[in-house]
Amino acid sequence: MSDATAGAARTPRTDDLRPMTSVQIAQERAFITSLEEECQTYWDMVEIGDELSRVLDLTPELVILYADAVEDFNPWYEGWKMNTWRIEGSSPFGGAIVPPLLVSHFVLSVQFDHTKPFAIGSIHTYHDTELIEPIPVGSRVRITTKAIDKYIKRERRYVRHEVLVTDEDNGTLYVREIRDILSL
Amino acid sequence: MTARETQALNLDELRITKDTPVGFELIGVKKKALIQLMGSRLWGRFNPNHWDPVYAAETGLHAPIQTGEMSTAYIAEMCVNHVGAAFFRNARMECKYIASILANDIITTGGVVSAKEPKGDGYRFTLDVWADDEHGQRKTVGTVEVDIDV
Repeated sequence: MSDATAGAARTPRTDDLRPMTSVQIAQERAFITSLEEECQTYWDMVEIGDELSRVLDLTPELVILYADAVEDFNPWYEGWKMNTWRIEGSSPFGGAIVPPLLVSHFVLSVQFDHTKPFAIGSIHTYHDTELIEPIPVGSRVRITTKAIDKYIKRERRYVRHEVLVTDEDNGTLYVREIRDILSL
Repeated sequence: MTARETQALNLDELRITKDTPVGFELIGVKKKALIQLMGSRLWGRFNPNHWDPVYAAETGLHAPIQTGEMSTAYIAEMCVNHVGAAFFRNARMECKYIASILANDIITTGGVVSAKEPKGDGYRFTLDVWADDEHGQRKTVGTVEVDIDV
C-alpha cells in the first residue's frame, strides 16, 4: 500500500503511540523477538486445492472480545454481561447472535496453516461474504477453507480461498466467502 | 454532535424499508484507529505490523496498520443500524481494502442505496459502502446486498 510506505527520517520508538515504561518496552521487544521464525511466503506455503478446517466455539466471551475492539455495542451480541455473566441474550432471532462478520475474521486462523510459522508480510485485500443464516452465540462452527486460485495482478501475487462456515452440530450453512490474500 | 442533537435523531428513521428510494444516504459510524485495539490479542497482536511502530518501520510502513477486518466490522455496524435483522440472513457484503488504515486515523463509514430490484413482497437492495479517513482518503470500498420486506 503506497500510502503506508515509510519515508520517515526519524527512527520510530516502541512508545511512540502509547505511553510505556522501560519495563513495558523491554517486554514488547522480547515478545516481538519471540515471534521471529523462519517462514515461507504465503504464496509458497499454499498450493491450489489445499483444504484446511478447524472448529471454533463461539463463546459469549469471545464475541464480547471481538465486538469491544471495534466498539460495536449492539445488545443483540450480548451473551455475557458484567455481574450476571453468561445470559441467553436477546435479538430479533431469539437469543444473542454473533456479529455478522465475526467468523470472517477468524478465517485467517484457518487458511494460514496454524501448525506452521505465520507468513508475516501477507495482507488481506478482499472478501465477498454471503451471510446466509444468523449464528447463535454459543454455537460450535466449522470453518473450512480451500485454495482455489493463485494469480498475479500488477506484479503482485494473490492467493484466493473459498470459505464455508457450518454448524458443527446440525450442519447449518451460515457463511460462504471468497477472499484474497496479497503475498510477498 | 451534542447530547441534545443525539436525542433529536430518531433511530427508527434510519431503517431502510421497501419504500426507501435509490440515492438514500446512510449515516455512518466514526472510529479512531487506536493502537491498543489494533494490537489486542483477538485482532492484530499475532503480527507486530498491526501495533508496533518499530517493526512497522522495518517493514517499510509509516505506522502500524489496522487489520482490514476492522473496517469491515465498522461498515457492518452501519449496515445493521440501517437494515437490522435483514443483514443476518441472505445478505452479501463485498469489500476491497484499497488503502491502509494507519494508527490514529479517524475512520468514518458511509453508504448510499445504489439500486433496488423487486423481490417477493419487497426488494433486493444494493448499497455502495465505504470507509474514509479524516482527510477524505478512501480506505475501503464495497457493496452490500440485502433483502428488505421480502
